[in-house]
Amino acid sequence: MVPSYPRARERRMTPALRTTAPALAAALALVLTGCQGAALSDDDAPATGGPVKIGVVVPLTGPVSQVGTALRNGLELAVRKVNADGGVHGRPVEYVVVDDAGDPANSTQLARRLVRQDKVTMLFGTITGDTAEAVGRVADEAHVPFGTAILGDTEHCFAYQWGFGESTRQMLTPTVPGLVRKHGTKVALVGSDYNYPHFYAGVAGELVKKAGGTVVAEEYSPLGQTDWQPVIGRLKSAAPDTVLSMVVGADAVTFAKQAQQFGLLTPKIGFEGASLDADFQPALGPLVTGRTHTVRWSDRLDDAESLAFVKDYRAAHQWKAPVPEVAGNAYFGVKFLLAAAEKAGSNDPEAVNKSIGGLSYDSPLGKGTHFDAANHVLQADMREVTIGGDGAYTVTRTHPMVTDTTPKKGCS
Amino acid sequence: MDVLLAILGQFGLYGLLTVGIAVIFAATRVVNLAQGDLAMTGAYVAATATAAPFGLRTLLALAAGAPLLLVVERLLLRRPGSDGLAAMLVTWGLGMALRQGAELLFTGTSRTVAVPVEGTLDVLGTPYPTYRLVCALTATAVIALVLLAAHRTDWGLRLRAVADNPAMAALLGTDPRRMRATAFTLGGLLAVLAGALYSPVLAVNPSMGFGLLVPVFFGLLLSRPGALATAAGAALLISTLSVLLRTWLSDTLAEALFYAVVVAIAALRSRPWIGRFSAWFRRTPAPASAA
Repeated sequence: MVPSYPRARERRMTPALRTTAPALAAALALVLTGCQGAALSDDDAPATGGPVKIGVVVPLTGPVSQVGTALRNGLELAVRKVNADGGVHGRPVEYVVVDDAGDPANSTQLARRLVRQDKVTMLFGTITGDTAEAVGRVADEAHVPFGTAILGDTEHCFAYQWGFGESTRQMLTPTVPGLVRKHGTKVALVGSDYNYPHFYAGVAGELVKKAGGTVVAEEYSPLGQTDWQPVIGRLKSAAPDTVLSMVVGADAVTFAKQAQQFGLLTPKIGFEGASLDADFQPALGPLVTGRTHTVRWSDRLDDAESLAFVKDYRAAHQWKAPVPEVAGNAYFGVKFLLAAAEKAGSNDPEAVNKSIGGLSYDSPLGKGTHFDAANHVLQADMREVTIGGDGAYTVTRTHPMVTDTTPKKGCS
Repeated sequence: MDVLLAILGQFGLYGLLTVGIAVIFAATRVVNLAQGDLAMTGAYVAATATAAPFGLRTLLALAAGAPLLLVVERLLLRRPGSDGLAAMLVTWGLGMALRQGAELLFTGTSRTVAVPVEGTLDVLGTPYPTYRLVCALTATAVIALVLLAAHRTDWGLRLRAVADNPAMAALLGTDPRRMRATAFTLGGLLAVLAGALYSPVLAVNPSMGFGLLVPVFFGLLLSRPGALATAAGAALLISTLSVLLRTWLSDTLAEALFYAVVVAIAALRSRPWIGRFSAWFRRTPAPASAA
């Protein structure tokens, strides 16, 4: 699952929102925390350190609000499940949700408040990379563990930050050799022009070489591009067998559509990347039908726990579309964190953080999932899904325990 | 050939929007900042009313757009009409309302419109998607019609008169308020048409129009108020520049250079000697045509 809207685009498309959103977010946050605080603080007479409390920072308004809402929904169901099973340390888990509207300035403020005023045991949430980094810094300062559910690859690693989303390597390692084998050795890379797609292309290039292929073209275009003809022309003249795309947001749709119109994306040519995310399936339909995509979790997994979660999600939110991957990552991520808190035996954030680093946990994300100390990436399974004409992302293959142990700076 | 076709395709989109914004600017001296969002509205009509064939949807977008634009002009723009800045802010607000409205109605997720004419056409040896050609030619034809109307009809004469000197035009019997209303509606409809026509090529989402505003604004900047042909010319120049730069250079470099060149042209144009030269150049044929 790739964040559909990188930061740069948001700034451009809602300049007016920026002035009103913080005020609105603050007001909303007050209401939310006020309500929750009042409702939950009744039994707030901690004998053994009080209940475990999760501070949730998510964008519930603004351009990425849909993804943010899905994450919160997943988290809520996880807490409900854990509480139904007896809670942590025998007490129900509490959580406080605040809305950062996708603005890192808000994220920092709100995370600080959650740590200082609400005295949360752990933080969870954020969608875009810059808000994750903002909360990650607060978490590191305050020595409070912080979990994310989107793309494990943040630019910086923090000692207190743990990513439950797949890393770029985990996404590409099982994918690239298959594409090279099936479609041919010539691979073209294309992306939106900001730092993540460049990073993605770097990893992809390395893996393509390892698989015996060559990168024949590498193109980037600024966000918000409406005419892809020159880029597609250059890609086409390189005659690639596979196109790996990290063109994100609405551009993912424009690019794929125009690439098809100009005859670059034929069914014979391999295609993988952001355009295959479930968010874009309704728009791209036949263009992605029959293609395979690599994800960490899909709502079509048939283990009992995933099935129960999907059923609860559909019932709780009258949800008919596919359940977003980020909701699943959040659900199993929160359960992982709470299991670590239980194992730590106390609510002390530092003890919980230590416990997270050492925990090995069985879930639908994999048997014995655990974090690598060198990069704080969750070592877990990946799935190959095949996209059906009806929009179903059916799991066709499981890649057990796809590891990513490339060290990152700042983890310890 | 590839490049020429790309320029034509780009010109259709930018040309419709720029001529539209120029029509509005001519009559009202207001830069319509909602132009891109009106295009977005047109695209959404094409994306949602899928029960009707594509041509009908385009007409539907225009039919629905006309009364909306008239009402907006009547209710919101008439009062601040004399105050250009206030009117511009009103159009900014209108654009924002359209964007947020679309987000509420259709969510922020992108949609696509099925291409009404499938397949590719061989244009002098270059295969090109048929629909792109159809919509570029349609757009060019509409632009030509508007230019023809501006230079060959009574209405066009009055529009140019109001653009030149609204007070004098009013004294000579042109109702400037009516002129403003029709110009705003026509200019807005050109944007709606652009959005509907180009919707099968683009991703339809609430913020799609916002990105179109910048090149269109540059087009208006480079044109002469009231002279719609210069607006079309400016749109052609901008499309050519953008396509050529992007063909020769990487996209990122091309975009940076594009802005630099446009700003340089705008700055050069304001030099007095260029103004004198072009004025002299323009006036030379005048006596010949009057005779």
